[in-house]
Amino acid sequence: MKVQTKLLPFVPNIKRYINILPFNLFVWVLMTLYLSPVLFMIVTAMMPTAQLSDKTAPLYPARVMRYEHEGKEYQIYNVPMEDGIRPMALAKPGRETSLLIDPQHPERGLIEWKGSWRTLKGVYEFHIEWENFTRLFTSLPFPQMLRNTFLLALIGGIGVLVSSIVVAYGFARFSLPGGNLLFYILIATILIPEKITFIPTFYVYVGILHWRGTVLPVLLHLFFGNAVYIFLLRQNFKSLPIDLEEAAMLDGAGPLRRLFSVVLPQSWPVVITVSLLHFFFTWNETRLASLYLGTDPKLMPVSFGVQNYQSFLPIQNVIEASSIIVLILPVILLILAQKYFMQGLVITGAEK
Amino acid sequence: METRFKRQIGLMLISPWLLGLLIFKLVPILASLVLSFTDFHLLNPDQVQLVGLGNYRIIFRDEQAVTVLWQTVQLALVIIPLQTFASIFIAALLSSQKLLAKNTMRTLFFLPSIIPAFAAALMWQGYVSPATGWLNRLILGPLGLETLNHFYSRGASQPLFILSSLWTIGPGILIMMGAMQGIPSEIYEAARIDGAGRLARFFKITIPLITPAIFFSLVLNLTSVFGGAILLDRGSRWRNDFSSYDGYINFVLFDMFKLGYASSLAWIFFVFVMILVLILFGTSKRWVYFPDREG
Repeated sequence: MKVQTKLLPFVPNIKRYINILPFNLFVWVLMTLYLSPVLFMIVTAMMPTAQLSDKTAPLYPARVMRYEHEGKEYQIYNVPMEDGIRPMALAKPGRETSLLIDPQHPERGLIEWKGSWRTLKGVYEFHIEWENFTRLFTSLPFPQMLRNTFLLALIGGIGVLVSSIVVAYGFARFSLPGGNLLFYILIATILIPEKITFIPTFYVYVGILHWRGTVLPVLLHLFFGNAVYIFLLRQNFKSLPIDLEEAAMLDGAGPLRRLFSVVLPQSWPVVITVSLLHFFFTWNETRLASLYLGTDPKLMPVSFGVQNYQSFLPIQNVIEASSIIVLILPVILLILAQKYFMQGLVITGAEK
Repeated sequence: METRFKRQIGLMLISPWLLGLLIFKLVPILASLVLSFTDFHLLNPDQVQLVGLGNYRIIFRDEQAVTVLWQTVQLALVIIPLQTFASIFIAALLSSQKLLAKNTMRTLFFLPSIIPAFAAALMWQGYVSPATGWLNRLILGPLGLETLNHFYSRGASQPLFILSSLWTIGPGILIMMGAMQGIPSEIYEAARIDGAGRLARFFKITIPLITPAIFFSLVLNLTSVFGGAILLDRGSRWRNDFSSYDGYINFVLFDMFKLGYASSLAWIFFVFVMILVLILFGTSKRWVYFPDREG
């Protein structure tokens, strides 16, 4: 077998591809189905508004073809004429009789046609309505919202990362009073329904401290670590070999020094994963933003601004277009970091 | 001496979390327990009175509360198994050696899970819309199943909720994949030599060895259906998108301003979820494979 692969490098490869083809085809079909709502969102976002309620329109973004005649634009429809179905420009639509212009023989002038124009099917051409996307930027202070979100992500991200990394190291490498009890409590806090802690904190923030309209309620708790991130980081730290740390300890390095110069350099995948998780969270967060930050342009983050915008605008294509604008950055980040992200969520201390 | 010193360092390292545990978890949980025994009202907080178990008595007569709790339980019973099976299945596909362009496929399957909840909800509404949505025009229509579309137009948002819950399993897939990659290939090799087929290897080796990951994601799915933490929080769209019960608490809180009653609703829920988690943990010894009891 080995000799064969050396002599004929292509033959076994082709055989292999034929073998795995059905499997890959299946995964592709599944993936297309799985992503079809996302495709729908993209396609709808590019559609002109008239196409949304038009059941005869094609599935791709399109509009009825235009015909220009003597400085005026007319839409072209497929009209059943005496000599078969012909594309005609609709000059004057009417319920019983309509006036048409033949685009091929405009010199013939207006042609009278009997029948309701609503029964006619349009002649469609591919057309992207870019205005759906630009509308968001003209009606919202987008650059400022972007800056707000970035500031929240940066400050909160640094706070939650540093605290979670330090705490995770404590859980990973030090024996704590009560043995594993504290670790079990950590896991238990992940499972507590949010509402139970939310009601009193909401009252304290809003009723007593009057923090509504400040970033404090959104950021403060992040500086005390996040249980999910601590858990993920701890699992990763535990799976690292301990020798290097012991060597550093013999050289007199304290615990924080060991963490930042020995452990962290080996842990970039999980640190990047956690940073991304936190960025996605901040980027998509609307619950706290709607309660504490509101629509003040100085504080309003992108996601809440867009959510608010969507709730006042019941036009589907514009809604989907604004959703796509919100999605672009996370998707780019996901693609850039996929190498790390796709291996970062190991929860059962991978023994190697 | 040495270990005591080590313990002190450990405690110092985890002290930010301990402090946060106290301020943001333990004190609020107790505070909402106290609140739940009062008629605390957001608009006149000065006239607060102890009502004892009054709030809890009201809950069981509150038809709406019982209905939404039951709805939430029903949803959980469908969504949790569905999410678990789907994430195992997709993770198995994505870790197969036959798969080409692995990283791209993994990223693509993960992609829907980062769509913010409000955008995802609107996307789904459009997708299933009977007239112009793709579900009818491209999938149900060609299969001759158009009549099926009435199931969501009859005012029931639940099927849609269940369907769209499959588009949040990205982290679950990654967890399962991570566990599958941790299985040493020698085990598969040995099983193959012993004549175990592909399915036998999957059910006799893969599944038992990834039970810790299954357990972990079951617990996470359970609590996220009931409004606990989510690995990848996508924000919220409207008030009731965690669950109908969560939405009802928001209604009591933000529209009726009854903090006391909302607290008792939340406490019932808290106890309920904790009982479910304890049951899950209690059964774990029977079916979860712990290599070293360390986790």
